[in-house]
Amino acid sequence: MTLGIDHPWVLALLPLALVPWLSSPHRRIAIGALILVPADRLSAGLRGGLRIAGTLAVALIVTALSSPYHGGRLISRTGTGAQVVLLLDRSGSMNDTFAGRTPAGTEESKASATKRLLRDFIGRRPHDLFGVAAFSTAPMLVLPLTDHQDAVLAAVNASDRRGLDFTNIARGLGMALSMFAADRPDEHHVILLVSDGGAVIDPHAQDQLRALFARYRADLYFLFLRTAGSKGLFDEPGPDENTPQAMPERFLHRYFQTLGIPYRAFQAESPQQVEEAIRQVDALERYPITYTERLPRRDLTGWAYASAGLPLLLLLAAKLVEARLAPSRSVFVAPPARGRAT
Amino acid sequence: MMAPFAGLIRRNVRDPRTLALVTALVLAIAAVALPRLPITRDGVRVLVVVDITGSMNTRDYGRDGAPVSRLAVAKEAVRDLLGRLPCPSRVGLALFSERVPFLLFEPVDVCRDYGAVEGAADALDWREGWEGDSHIAEGLYGAIAMAQGLDSDLMFITDGQETPPLPLSGGPVFDGKPGAVRGVIVGAGGYSLAPIPKFDDRGNEVGFWGVNDVQHENHFGAPSPDAESRPGYQARNAPFGSGIPTGTEHLSSVREPYLRGLAGGTGLTYTHLEDGRHLARALLATATPRPSPALADVRWVPGAGALAALLAAYGLIPVRGWRPTVPGFIKAVGRWS
Repeated sequence: MTLGIDHPWVLALLPLALVPWLSSPHRRIAIGALILVPADRLSAGLRGGLRIAGTLAVALIVTALSSPYHGGRLISRTGTGAQVVLLLDRSGSMNDTFAGRTPAGTEESKASATKRLLRDFIGRRPHDLFGVAAFSTAPMLVLPLTDHQDAVLAAVNASDRRGLDFTNIARGLGMALSMFAADRPDEHHVILLVSDGGAVIDPHAQDQLRALFARYRADLYFLFLRTAGSKGLFDEPGPDENTPQAMPERFLHRYFQTLGIPYRAFQAESPQQVEEAIRQVDALERYPITYTERLPRRDLTGWAYASAGLPLLLLLAAKLVEARLAPSRSVFVAPPARGRAT
Repeated sequence: MMAPFAGLIRRNVRDPRTLALVTALVLAIAAVALPRLPITRDGVRVLVVVDITGSMNTRDYGRDGAPVSRLAVAKEAVRDLLGRLPCPSRVGLALFSERVPFLLFEPVDVCRDYGAVEGAADALDWREGWEGDSHIAEGLYGAIAMAQGLDSDLMFITDGQETPPLPLSGGPVFDGKPGAVRGVIVGAGGYSLAPIPKFDDRGNEVGFWGVNDVQHENHFGAPSPDAESRPGYQARNAPFGSGIPTGTEHLSSVREPYLRGLAGGTGLTYTHLEDGRHLARALLATATPRPSPALADVRWVPGAGALAALLAAYGLIPVRGWRPTVPGFIKAVGRWS
């Protein structure tokens, strides 16, 4: 049983519930001497009862005005999921198709296909915390980890707009890692990196990234959108080609393999393959995750007003049957048989 | 047995305190029975674009005696603004650097997803800028087109410092329809010149931009008419003169006349960046109202009436002076709901 109120400040009016003990809605009757009215238990009881009724009526109406409710508590539940940062490439080439052309007619750009498939992915994972980061020349923190799916979808929706120039994966990864909490072994961190190009990571940045991965502990999924005719992650180098500059994708893949983290690479050359890769990530990343849920609320305002009705009815009844002692022009000669002065 | 009661009741009904108790009871019952009333609420739908170029790092605001950068003030104000918008309102966020706005997310409901939007606004950082240049006018026109595409109003927060300076022939021309997108340009920065912090490529602050570090004059287009009198002027080889132009482009202040001009040309309004309350006022004054149906709980009206009547029965509110306040009360209720 949890009770709450929406407008606590209204409760400042509660001292008004003391008013029935200071005053009365009933008629005052002046009596010449106290001795004329003998102590009367019935009268005293009635007076007390009516005071309590008045207090109840005031208190209940004030409570009703503060909008009381029952429930609405946040509770922690355990579901399956993970903390996922979507790290999206926003370089200009993402706006081309898998064939490397500007989309025409019904063709879908790499960014649009990714956006559509990520939306499905997010929809299938209701308990995940999602964060979104983007990178081109600089990394951009789009949305910190959140359980507000509408906001995540709005950020993914924005991801197929015109991109910027370059592909700076290293700084993007650094940004994505920094969005997690460090040293939390109970949380499961996942980075889903979506990019259509490799990049050379300089040795200094390589060491920094390695340290960051050790600190924040994240699984890395590299969804590589391969454009027709370009180098792939798993290509074997030809003669004179075995350098990071000539084959950045291959070297990036090999660097990720040395990080000592759970790492998987998917090379997709069509939207169907992207879908398959995302489905696999979905199946792999199923860990216990704690999420919060708000219990439904029940409004008690109506009940409070209704229960104020009863003491009000009582007060009204007492008022209506209030006896008027005969206004005596002459001097009291005898005490009345029953004092009903309240 | 009933007859004396009937007589009592008949006599007591005329007591004003009886009337007050009856009123309290009737109003309490009315409060139970009153359904939620359908009303329309006006929210806003706005795209907030924040300039994150280098000059926004200039620390020419003060908070609690310490200098604070324009970007920090802008972030704080935007976060505060989110909580001040009428529900349901939707806010999208974009960065501006170089010459285009970069959309972070489309407008989302800030009443439902407040935490997410607030977190995103808090995460804005100049390090996210992808180029050192800031072509404000081009960025503004791009932001207007973006806001139009998102069917939202625009709030563009910038200090108005074009880097490099505009050529003498003037900036780019707005080819949209002025007023098609409503909104406000927010000028960030102080009114006197302040030095701009300089950072190395790892993001560490390394002093301030010096007079010889920046371009003070744009050499695209035609030279200024006084160029002939400059030292070393030669019509073909040195039409701008041979000297290195100097100026105050390495310092920064809010370029208010320029921003007002841009606002005038695009049908936006202008305001200076102060705080969230200021932003909310400027935005709500110009924003397109977006009505949406809602249900209003007005049970507090009869409820408050019941309380007042009950207290009146106890003599706390003098009944005689009551009558003229009733129409005033009803009028006030009409204004509120």
